Amino acid sequence: MYLTREEERILSGYEGEAKALAIKTLVKVGEALGAERLIPIKHAHVSGISYGTIGEHGLALLEELVEKGARVEVPTTVNPIGFDSEEPSLMSHIGVRLDDEFVKGQMRIVKALRAMGAQTTLTCTPYYLPDTRFLKPGDSVSWGESSAILYGNSVIGIRTNREGGPLALMSAIVGKTYYWGLHIDENRKPTTGFKVDHNEPLDEVMAGLLGKLVAERYAGVRPPYVKVALRDELAVKEMLAAVGAAGSLAMIYLDGITGPSIDIVKLERFETIDWRELASLYEEHKPSEKPDVVFLGCPHSRAEDLARLAKLLEGKPEPKSKIVITLSRSEYRRFRESYPEYLGVLKEKAVIVRDTCLIVSPFGRDDSGLTVVTNSYKAYFYLSKRGLKVGLSTIEDMIPLLYM
Amino acid sequence: MGTIKFHGRVLNPGSGEGPAVVEEALSFYGEVDPKTGTTVSGKTIHDRVLVIGRPRGSTVGSYTLYGLKYYSRKPLAIIVESEADPILVAGAILADIPLFDKVKGIMERVSDGIIITFKDTGEITISSDG
Repeated sequence: MYLTREEERILSGYEGEAKALAIKTLVKVGEALGAERLIPIKHAHVSGISYGTIGEHGLALLEELVEKGARVEVPTTVNPIGFDSEEPSLMSHIGVRLDDEFVKGQMRIVKALRAMGAQTTLTCTPYYLPDTRFLKPGDSVSWGESSAILYGNSVIGIRTNREGGPLALMSAIVGKTYYWGLHIDENRKPTTGFKVDHNEPLDEVMAGLLGKLVAERYAGVRPPYVKVALRDELAVKEMLAAVGAAGSLAMIYLDGITGPSIDIVKLERFETIDWRELASLYEEHKPSEKPDVVFLGCPHSRAEDLARLAKLLEGKPEPKSKIVITLSRSEYRRFRESYPEYLGVLKEKAVIVRDTCLIVSPFGRDDSGLTVVTNSYKAYFYLSKRGLKVGLSTIEDMIPLLYM
Repeated sequence: MGTIKFHGRVLNPGSGEGPAVVEEALSFYGEVDPKTGTTVSGKTIHDRVLVIGRPRGSTVGSYTLYGLKYYSRKPLAIIVESEADPILVAGAILADIPLFDKVKGIMERVSDGIIITFKDTGEITISSDG
């Protein structure tokens, strides 16, 4: 790989041991992939920071980096952890028991990331944070968290590959990534298209199921082009999260949303997705029994989603199922400020948890008989693997289920 | 008696020699225990030359490789017949484990216990008298 004099200097350790190790990792990964050089990034989002998955040794690596003087060179945000960092006990409302070792190990991980200069809002939706508003289409970033990667590439127009494990953190420490994959113009142009043969805009559940179908039918470096009407922002978010969960794609070229516009006549292949296939998937995934938990917030909810649910719950009796909402600390603050009239009803009828979600928490690990209803295909995908019975329903359709 | 030579791409240089342990496909997350240095099939990789047909990706695999170093259970080197993925490369750098990939044809000739020699140049030799 070609390195500038400045990069050579970093590699030789002139800017410290941590930065040298970080750039070495990026260069070697880049070389393995065939990248010719490094490029600067504007932002990093670090995923895979749950103590439950990276363990004591993952924590040791992060603390070693801190000890060696690692500091992030670009604004850096961080994925959710296993519980609400200010109120770990909130999770007990949904039967999650946290042992001491887990809580302590997890907080040391957060502390290490903070010591490196990361902004620890702990969310899978960095794109809803005020901290990322400065990003412009075309900016290169280094993001982990598949749902955020898809949203960043497809909606915001920023450029990132799927950076697994510690790679996004290494990029943050150097302020660079390897010039490869979706950072390159040519690789962002679709050659295959999908079209849904139906004009009615898809709700968030249908959109998620469409995401699953596309991810299962198409694999490649380039994004597939998808022509479909989506009902709202929630449907866009859920579709992209489903694509990220069900396959290895990092971008979808969404008609009318992703820019710059392309000439679809030039696509090599165009497939039609049969509406009836989606409709029958919808039926298959419908909740079949009374849910123990109704879950909203995978990926993390927006203030608007909370307001939508609160409006539907106003004047209703106590729900028979537990309602769990997960979101970022930042969106929760925005909800309280923008929708004070709904705060009371939600606090009374739902458990609102920040910094975490049911997927990264140990939810349901000890009690696999639980029945869950959610509007997120991604949550369905991961919670089903845990042995839970999961059904899909839109926010509106959740209401009758609460009183079954 | 004799030796067979292979040549691989050097992703993290290193020289050494040791007995092989072979896995057709391996994901470092979930299939390798960093505390014991054993794979799900019960083989120990500590102080062996780990030969993998193809790596199976899981995004936290890099941390497991670092864990092998942390718990002093590192293999001597990792040799991949196909291509190493970013997770494996990052993990090998962080854990300081020599890594070679694109070592064509090695899986056919290697089995557990055979002595493998690896060099900075990418030259890999297996003794065929095992």
